[in-house]
Amino acid sequence: MILTRQSLPRRTVLRGLGVSLALPLLDAMVPAMTAAPAPVKRLSTVYVGMGMNMDLWTPASEGPLDLSPILQPIAAFRDRTLVLSGFDSKEADAHDGGVHPRCQTAWLTGSKPFPTEGPGIRAGISMDQIAAAEFESETQLASMELALESFELAGACNFGYSCAYNNTLCWRNATTPIPMEVNPRVVFERMFGTADSTDQEARLAYVKKRRSILDAVSARAAALNARIGASDRQKVDQYLDAVRDVERRIQKAEEQIDQEIPVVDQPVGVPGRFEDHARLMFDLLALAYQTDLTRVGTFMVAKEQSNRAYPEIGVAEPHHPLSHHQNNPEKLAKQAKVNVFHMQLFAHFLEKLQATPDGDGSLLDHTVVLYGSGMSDSNLHLMWDVPTMVVGSSTFGIAGGRHVRHPKGTPLANLQLTLLDKMGVRLDRFGDSSGKLNLVSL
Amino acid sequence: MFRALKGTPSAALLTAVVMAAFAAGIGAQQPAPPVSGRPPDTAPSQVEARALLDKYCVGCHSDRAKTGGLSLQSIDVAAVAQHAETWEKVVRKLRVGLMPPIGMPRPDATTYDAFTAWVEQQIDRAAAAGGPDPGRPPIHRLNRTEYTNAVRDLLGLEIDARALLPPDDSGFGFDNNADVLAVSPALLDRYLVAAQSVSRLAVGDPTMRPIIGIYRLPYLTLRQEDRVGNDLPHGSRGGMAVRHYFPVDGEYVIKVRLQASSAQADIRGLDETNEVDVRLDGERLRLFRVEPVTNYVSNLIADEKQALDSDWNIRLPVKAGLRTVSVALDQKNWYVEGVGPQRSPVSSFGYSNAHRTNLGIGRIEMGIDEVTIEGPFDGRVPEASPTRERIFICRPASQADEKPCAQTILSALARRAFRRPVTAADLDLLMGFYEDGVARRGFEGGIQAAIEAMLVDPNFLFRVELDPPGLAAGTAYRLSDLELASRLSFFLWSSLPDEELLALAESGRLAQPAALDAQVRRMLTDPRADALLDNFFGQWLLVRNVGSVSPDPKAFPDFDENLREAFEEETRLFLHAQLREDRSARELMDANYTFLNERLARHYGVTGVYGSHFRRVTLPDARRAGLLGHGSVLTVTSYANRTSVVQRGKWILENLLGSPPPPPPPDVPPLENTKVEGGLRKRMEQHRQNPVCAACHAQLDPLGFALENFDGVGTWRTTDERAPIDASGVMPDGTKFTGPIDFREALQSRPEALLRTLTEKLLTYATGRGAEHFDMPEVRRIVREAAPFDYRWSSLILGVVKSAPFQMRRSAS
Repeated sequence: MILTRQSLPRRTVLRGLGVSLALPLLDAMVPAMTAAPAPVKRLSTVYVGMGMNMDLWTPASEGPLDLSPILQPIAAFRDRTLVLSGFDSKEADAHDGGVHPRCQTAWLTGSKPFPTEGPGIRAGISMDQIAAAEFESETQLASMELALESFELAGACNFGYSCAYNNTLCWRNATTPIPMEVNPRVVFERMFGTADSTDQEARLAYVKKRRSILDAVSARAAALNARIGASDRQKVDQYLDAVRDVERRIQKAEEQIDQEIPVVDQPVGVPGRFEDHARLMFDLLALAYQTDLTRVGTFMVAKEQSNRAYPEIGVAEPHHPLSHHQNNPEKLAKQAKVNVFHMQLFAHFLEKLQATPDGDGSLLDHTVVLYGSGMSDSNLHLMWDVPTMVVGSSTFGIAGGRHVRHPKGTPLANLQLTLLDKMGVRLDRFGDSSGKLNLVSL
Repeated sequence: MFRALKGTPSAALLTAVVMAAFAAGIGAQQPAPPVSGRPPDTAPSQVEARALLDKYCVGCHSDRAKTGGLSLQSIDVAAVAQHAETWEKVVRKLRVGLMPPIGMPRPDATTYDAFTAWVEQQIDRAAAAGGPDPGRPPIHRLNRTEYTNAVRDLLGLEIDARALLPPDDSGFGFDNNADVLAVSPALLDRYLVAAQSVSRLAVGDPTMRPIIGIYRLPYLTLRQEDRVGNDLPHGSRGGMAVRHYFPVDGEYVIKVRLQASSAQADIRGLDETNEVDVRLDGERLRLFRVEPVTNYVSNLIADEKQALDSDWNIRLPVKAGLRTVSVALDQKNWYVEGVGPQRSPVSSFGYSNAHRTNLGIGRIEMGIDEVTIEGPFDGRVPEASPTRERIFICRPASQADEKPCAQTILSALARRAFRRPVTAADLDLLMGFYEDGVARRGFEGGIQAAIEAMLVDPNFLFRVELDPPGLAAGTAYRLSDLELASRLSFFLWSSLPDEELLALAESGRLAQPAALDAQVRRMLTDPRADALLDNFFGQWLLVRNVGSVSPDPKAFPDFDENLREAFEEETRLFLHAQLREDRSARELMDANYTFLNERLARHYGVTGVYGSHFRRVTLPDARRAGLLGHGSVLTVTSYANRTSVVQRGKWILENLLGSPPPPPPPDVPPLENTKVEGGLRKRMEQHRQNPVCAACHAQLDPLGFALENFDGVGTWRTTDERAPIDASGVMPDGTKFTGPIDFREALQSRPEALLRTLTEKLLTYATGRGAEHFDMPEVRRIVREAAPFDYRWSSLILGVVKSAPFQMRRSAS
């Protein structure tokens, strides 16, 4: 829940759980954050695992968008919404037992995850990270990766697939999965740091201390690398790469040290209610866009094999078993309830973006959002014709308000390649792409 | 920072009792006869072996058919060891009796077993003659648990790492797998933040800004009707005891809030007198008394009904340290006596929405919702705290003393943190940070800055093993004593070596067999060895997942948080007893005792257990013997609304018998949900008529059916969907059983598979890498050599510690 106090114009108040958690420490916070300059383009990807009730997802006809029941919550954004049918996540297809991690991994990478419990973990760089690499010189954070479930189940996650594939959508490169953050407080600290005061001098001291630590540990890691064999270097190289990334960011913060910063209240932890949690995380992502801390965000609303139950909407069964609905009408109806609930939360994000001024328009005018799942029919684990939509605007040359069906077998990666193009990242290929789409006239 | 205490019995007391039992351990027992192995004189000749393969295996495993990717048609039986990788796969199936599939002809049992033993012997002999391949675990980043424990052992500070670091991925079933412990920018960011928080908490930095710990109880699913644990007052009910770290001397605010009904936001249970008792380390801070509201409608205005606790804030000075804050309600006699209205199930709609008893829904009592602790305000440098006593091993008397004292402090810390003698380069670096910190906040600020840098140093975060110089590529070599010390402490404690271990390693005497033996025994009796319970057993047996299951309240209305906690506690205490009393590993399956409190005993139908504390109980019959009778195991292997014979069968095959079934084929035809006369079993039998499914399910399902008398949350039952339960079946090796009791006996009659699986998992966990085929001779040797000691835990763990994969490493190729 986000409360903006009229009397404090520059003040954004983020609350985890309402009054009882209000922090008495407001002015002690030091967000090193800057107001966004001219409008820039942002990219969001939002994943909902385990498919949809496809009958209630797919619009009845092609052409002008006839909102299906699951799409109703975003009716206000109909004119910006482009529902795209016919995409296949082909790289998720293989004959082994790891269909859930395959679907999740292939969705944003267009790549087949290598089946392994440990050695040789490999997928492909994810689409968001391609964009992140493009914009990292502009912002403190190259990207943000948010999720709503912690990943702490014991046991092999799937037949022959390390849990690394179950836990993230984002791959920094083919061999480095990026953990997704669940705790709003941690997200906040990542955005605004943990210095003690808003005072500029204190912030500068904080930044300097960080820098000296990073300089030291990077020298230590380099010294370590010199002593170990080539095969052991991958880990230390990952560490060095991470150090460079944080250093770059600190440099950015240093450059922006004299910019005015709004005072932000710090969320204290994971809200107890799922809905509050989701809204808070979406709010944080919107705030990161607003302050131009990042331009790329990935948000996993529900991961594959999630066992979250939704008693608050009358769904007591955990999501994964429910998604194996066996075409039982009662279960299908419940699956649709979950799909609609997720869409309502997504609508909150869109509302937030729309309500936030940005340049001559709103954040929503300057953000393109990909929303979808790596499966269509979850009962049979189908990776064909996966539910997909894009919310965009003329900024990106995207004409919404339509439902377009692509020829059977069109790779989902074609869409991602096209969205990257709309972000100004020109590539010839991404994952298993076979070409670009025309989102204006198709 | 912020871990809620459960009602566990005093660990110290348990340890003392058990140490005595442990000391009595190995020597006192007569060696039992080995259960595996067979006389070699019945070994098949090569001609016989070839004939067996041709007759019983090659029909499917031919060069052409290659069923399961395996051909045995032209494999050379004269050189078994040269194809050890393939043969290990074969042995895995044979030891469990999984091949040839049910319904296909098999040789008689003697021939079958003799062949299996012969294959193993061929491989083992060759491995013994050829020298070991110890494998090569990659560089290992500390996982979240290890980081937490390292901070505890280095600085004396208990932190809740969940609030500081992201969870780790796992591989081969464990989250300490070196291959998957990656580093990303986001993680490094967390390490930087964590290092700052931890160093300031530990040193007791009075300039730190206030922090908040929030402790919340579940609203819908937890009953607050019994005393919660030993940290709460006698005669109390509900509430919680939390261990909170107060970083400096200063003012803190403790806030207590009550549960409100979900419908009207009115505080629950206002129609009775209630008292809320708030204590710090057992001393009462405040007793809040709430008088009953007789005329509910008019007596209180809505604000009061909803916010009479809004000023339940206690501000008080607290000295630095880890302290227990307890908040509990007063127990009502009529609750205990069972007089008066009964509570409806916590998951019911009426219960969740009602706010008082006299609405006819059942008893609605007051409950604690949340406790927050904020501070410090006006913090001062602590006069004393456990962390400061550990860090400040010298105090500078004058300014001239400061630098030498800092060197002393930082050398001692760095030696522990880096798990090796400190070098000049280490100290130079830390002193650099010290100087920076001194400039900002004096001597203590200097120490804090240096600790902060130490905690993100790659020498702390990574466990590195260095190949000795000049070694040929791919050569097995013995780890240095220091490397061995780290392997030991991270295996048994998930933490840093302690002073004794480190000193022994530095003196170069750790690898001596007697010294190593003594260290392992010492470490196993140390409370830090409890790390094995959650990290090894919790992940091996999947019981770590009890915390995240969510049984469907419609199917299992009796399931609540109290039961969830009881499941966790039962299994934890049971495994704790196994380790500390150094029992035989075989007792995992057939122990005739367990640990129960009243809630769990009622769930199991065991009488005569009263109160909320757990105690050892001898089970009245064999139905629930061993782990297979534990609610934790039975629940994590079930679906939310029913049992799953497939999941249970798979759990048994994979985690107990070490022979995971192949993955289901793609495009599985759905198990139709239409009601079939006779319940689940009939439906599963239909499913098995499909030959694609039958191949695996014919072996999987019977194992699961053996436990069908236990429902999805482990309650004993004799019918399912009104049909009587039929828990009979056939083991993969053909042994028939009628229910859980003789099923367990059948499992126990072929213990090799279980013991080897357990040892393989221990080895995987201990080395942080997946077990390879070349590890299997070592696994068999460990089991064989533990036989004279009746497979006591010490013998298996020592076996792992003394094995080549644990003590050695292969140089880079």
